[in-house]
Amino acid sequence: MPQTRSFDPYTENGGTILAIAGQDFSVIAGDTRQSEGYSIQTRYAPKVFRLTDRAVLAVNGFAADGNMFVKKVKQRLEWYRHAHAKDMPLRAIARLIQTMLYAKRFFPYYVYNILGGIEEDGTGAVYSFDPVGSYEREACRAAGAAQSLVQPFLDNQIYFKNQVPAPGTTHPAYLSLPDVLSIVIDSFTSATERHIEVGDGLEIYIVFAKTRDLQDFETIRAKNVHLIQELTVAEDGERIFVLRRDLKKD
Amino acid sequence: MDHFPTNWGRPRNDAFDAYGTYPIQQRPNNIKDNFNGVQRTQQPIVTGTSVLAIKYKDGIMMAADNLASYGSLARFKDVQRLHAVGNHTVLGASGDMSDFQYIQSLLDDLIIEEFTEQDEHTLGPAEIHEYLSQLMYGRRSKLNPLWNSLLVGGYKDGKRFLAYVDLLGTTYSASTIATGYGSYIAQPLLRKAVEGREDTLTEREAQAILEESLLVLFYRDARSLDKYQIAKVTESGVSISESMALRTSWSFAEGIRGYGAQTQ
Amino acid sequence: MTSIGTGYDLSASTYSPDGRIFQVEYASKAVDNSGTTIGLRVKDGIVLAVEKLVHSKLLVPGASNRRIQTIDKHIGLATAGYLADGRHLANRARSEASNFREFYHSPPQVKDVTERLGQYVQVYTLYSSVRPFGVSTILGGVDKTGPNLYVVEPSGVFFGYHGAAVGKGRQLAKAELEKLKLAELSTREAVFEVARIIHLVHEDNKEKEFELEMSWIGAETQGIFLPVPKDLHQEAEEKAKAALDNFE
Repeated sequence: MPQTRSFDPYTENGGTILAIAGQDFSVIAGDTRQSEGYSIQTRYAPKVFRLTDRAVLAVNGFAADGNMFVKKVKQRLEWYRHAHAKDMPLRAIARLIQTMLYAKRFFPYYVYNILGGIEEDGTGAVYSFDPVGSYEREACRAAGAAQSLVQPFLDNQIYFKNQVPAPGTTHPAYLSLPDVLSIVIDSFTSATERHIEVGDGLEIYIVFAKTRDLQDFETIRAKNVHLIQELTVAEDGERIFVLRRDLKKD
Repeated sequence: MDHFPTNWGRPRNDAFDAYGTYPIQQRPNNIKDNFNGVQRTQQPIVTGTSVLAIKYKDGIMMAADNLASYGSLARFKDVQRLHAVGNHTVLGASGDMSDFQYIQSLLDDLIIEEFTEQDEHTLGPAEIHEYLSQLMYGRRSKLNPLWNSLLVGGYKDGKRFLAYVDLLGTTYSASTIATGYGSYIAQPLLRKAVEGREDTLTEREAQAILEESLLVLFYRDARSLDKYQIAKVTESGVSISESMALRTSWSFAEGIRGYGAQTQ
Repeated sequence: MTSIGTGYDLSASTYSPDGRIFQVEYASKAVDNSGTTIGLRVKDGIVLAVEKLVHSKLLVPGASNRRIQTIDKHIGLATAGYLADGRHLANRARSEASNFREFYHSPPQVKDVTERLGQYVQVYTLYSSVRPFGVSTILGGVDKTGPNLYVVEPSGVFFGYHGAAVGKGRQLAKAELEKLKLAELSTREAVFEVARIIHLVHEDNKEKEFELEMSWIGAETQGIFLPVPKDLHQEAEEKAKAALDNFE
């Protein structure tokens, strides 16, 4: 009986990503550890990428597929800019990603995508995808190695699942930016504690609608000047920031 | 006709290499009836073990031993696994050595093609790494991989560069990288010695760190050799050393008690 | 031009009754109209130089249309005649050199590339559907046999030379080349000689501006074919001009 061992073109590179939509902002985050098996390959490999001034894509799963996929999405967005002299709207990017993922239905990109940003109507949005392109718009989503740890926490904190409002009150329809940032940071510190593939660094992208008053953000920014970097390109459009923090390295 | 010599007149499988140390045994038998189409590398044959590399004050340093193994047989003991690519980059390879030689010839052609342009641009380590990433990912996507883990190190325009790419197209960069067994045995030692000290480590210190790691690997990795080379890339270009020998010491073996025929 | 009107000069695939192929001869005429190109094979290397005539004052100096091209690490080529044909042949020479490397896993000798390029050029003298190349190509390089210099003509023939000159000023240039002891010259000395000769032959064509283009290969360049460095280029050109003034 001849032994056969065929080449496996996939691997898993760990890490976790997460996005939460606010009323007029969106937050997209991911840790920066890349691993294979029990080995940490590097402590800094970004999984979250700025696509346009109002769209950010987080990619998690097989890193080689992820990098290639982001490269191809960026290329398609550049072609769109050349053809139409404007950035592609968020919901169009979401449909584009579905099409691109499904095009490889029978040799899939082994990646979970979460797209966050601002819609044309100025609302914060999050789209999540499976590897072959099924997608939906949501208020929040976690994916990757620690999805099973983080998603129930978000269900509870964002959707108020299993919480009963105090008599005579209702749950708030939208969460504030400081609340959302706290939930994101707590999600990742907790995932770092309990999951070996999560840690090292955290990158949080924050996208604001044009119309939004940034006062609450400016107070946060003033306290963390050295951690926050602005990535906005266009004037008087959506604004986009990235916040970098350390996570435990063990 | 089966052109693979090892398939000619093989002994019965159960009478031959019962422990499966011989890599050919794992190779699928080419049954003539159902064999057609292209041949793909489904496993490496002649292989090189770990490559180690670190960043240091003046650039990057890379090390690899001179062994190319045929399964458990130490088949070729004078093989160079570090390769200069242009004047700013060095490439180190573990995994299948024939695939590595193919990659070398691709890169040599690429460098000449760029040279003949005479446009005052040269490819740096970042460009070479991107080229190799696309190559490796492209081949894995055809399910016909180049069976290697590669390290690309370099120095250009005042910047150090050190990155990894493997047969799946997986890439990353870090201030210390090791492939193969080195990623388990040497990487922790390298991280402890290098992380946070990238800008102060001298050439002498960097070399000592790599040599210590190679020594530990030689004691534990059965597919390694005590003959090795070290490459460095700095402002002044690439240099690859002559082969050197590790200084091993086996005197500790005297003190081991309690195994085999040893009774007291 | 007794051939004109006889009908035998319309196609490269037809001989004239006295056994000539006029299209090939016309191609050589195209070469003769071009700025002079010189190649020197000396003791330890090769120098190629071109008198690049500047056809408009609006052109940016040194920015475009190089007529010396690099074929491989150790081989270069200079053309006289139609620039675009020259570039096409250079591309062909590059792929021949690269193909040789892939097939034999060793660098080609200058002769190997010349032979293949000669064959390629010759094919364009066989068919009525194509036009022969309007260039003479000087190939030079240093290989395992030492320095080598060849000229490929529009007919496809090639010869090896100690010194070669093609283009408008070739007669005078050849006369000057014959005076040199090429086998004893160093590559550095050859740079000065070649600059002097280009400036000298330009005297007959003085109404036009020109740029001097020079490349070399030898011990000083570690066996790599490179443009002559700026400072040496400048020094050689100054000396060439001074020599001309003394001459007059």
